[in-house]
Amino acid sequence: MIGSEIKRGTAELAILSVLESEALHGYEIARRIEQETRGALRFTLAALYPMLYRMEKQKLVQGDWETSPNGRRRRCYRLTVAGRKKLTPLRREWAKLFAALNRLAGVLNA
Amino acid sequence: MPDWREVVRQHLDGIQLAENDVAEVVEELAEHLEDTYRCNLRQGVAEQAAAQMALQQSGNWRELQRKIESSRKEELLMNKRVSQFWFPAFVTIFLAMLLLMAIETIGPKPWISPARPLRMTPVAVVYFAWIVTLPFIGALGAWLSSRAGGRPRAVFGSIVFPVLPYLGFFVMGLPIAIILDDKVAHNIMLPAFFVGFSAWVLLPAIALLAGGLPVHFLFGRSRV
Repeated sequence: MIGSEIKRGTAELAILSVLESEALHGYEIARRIEQETRGALRFTLAALYPMLYRMEKQKLVQGDWETSPNGRRRRCYRLTVAGRKKLTPLRREWAKLFAALNRLAGVLNA
Repeated sequence: MPDWREVVRQHLDGIQLAENDVAEVVEELAEHLEDTYRCNLRQGVAEQAAAQMALQQSGNWRELQRKIESSRKEELLMNKRVSQFWFPAFVTIFLAMLLLMAIETIGPKPWISPARPLRMTPVAVVYFAWIVTLPFIGALGAWLSSRAGGRPRAVFGSIVFPVLPYLGFFVMGLPIAIILDDKVAHNIMLPAFFVGFSAWVLLPAIALLAGGLPVHFLFGRSRV
């Protein structure tokens, strides 16, 4: 129960964070997350797209089809106002959680 | 290069989504796999191995299908609820209220019973001109809901929606008034309740259903 909630929370924070600065398509979102976490977080299709669709339904992100100069149609996701608003408290919550875990189990020094 | 759309279509065969949705999902996932495949090629992997790797990196397809269905289906359910119930219900209530306002303003006058009310006798005010139009409004509500594939409960709700405010008044408003307002004549409340309930809830509901139910049976789910 907690495991899936934590996973979902992590994925949500990761997606919102990479979309904060620019709109990206699904593959690029997964690549950025993997790159910026140095491979610690990896998204398969099964993890990424259902999450994106759910976040779109919650109006945290908005996906629009765009055609690139080479003619490929891609669905680009951008943060909505609600998504941007959610990011700050979400970061704070995770910071609190890490601080609490650190006090409890010394996770940052492990 | 593999036909990634075909690959995705095969893996998601039998996915329970609307046709447009399936097309969008297939296109989006195919683009993702193509990007993964190209990236593998750039890293010097041979074509066949690059395609294999792209498929392996995509994860469990059965899980993907299930998760996509659950993440998109709620949206479908919402759309269905709107088209099968909320839209027809609001059309019927809007038309019913508009007609009642028009009849109250320009006539004909309502039938008032009894003509010479005795002291303490509740009076029924019935707008027959309005009642006569209600079967058509009920029929429209039933047709809109049935056409959208509404289940009997949604169709029934759409038909009788215009009487709900009156039902709310008689079931909640009047009892609360009796309890809170000591100036209301308590001894006429029960007869008044039945007279008012019949004139503003029962009679309009029967009229709405008289038009709505035949339409529902004619254009119901079996024909959609």
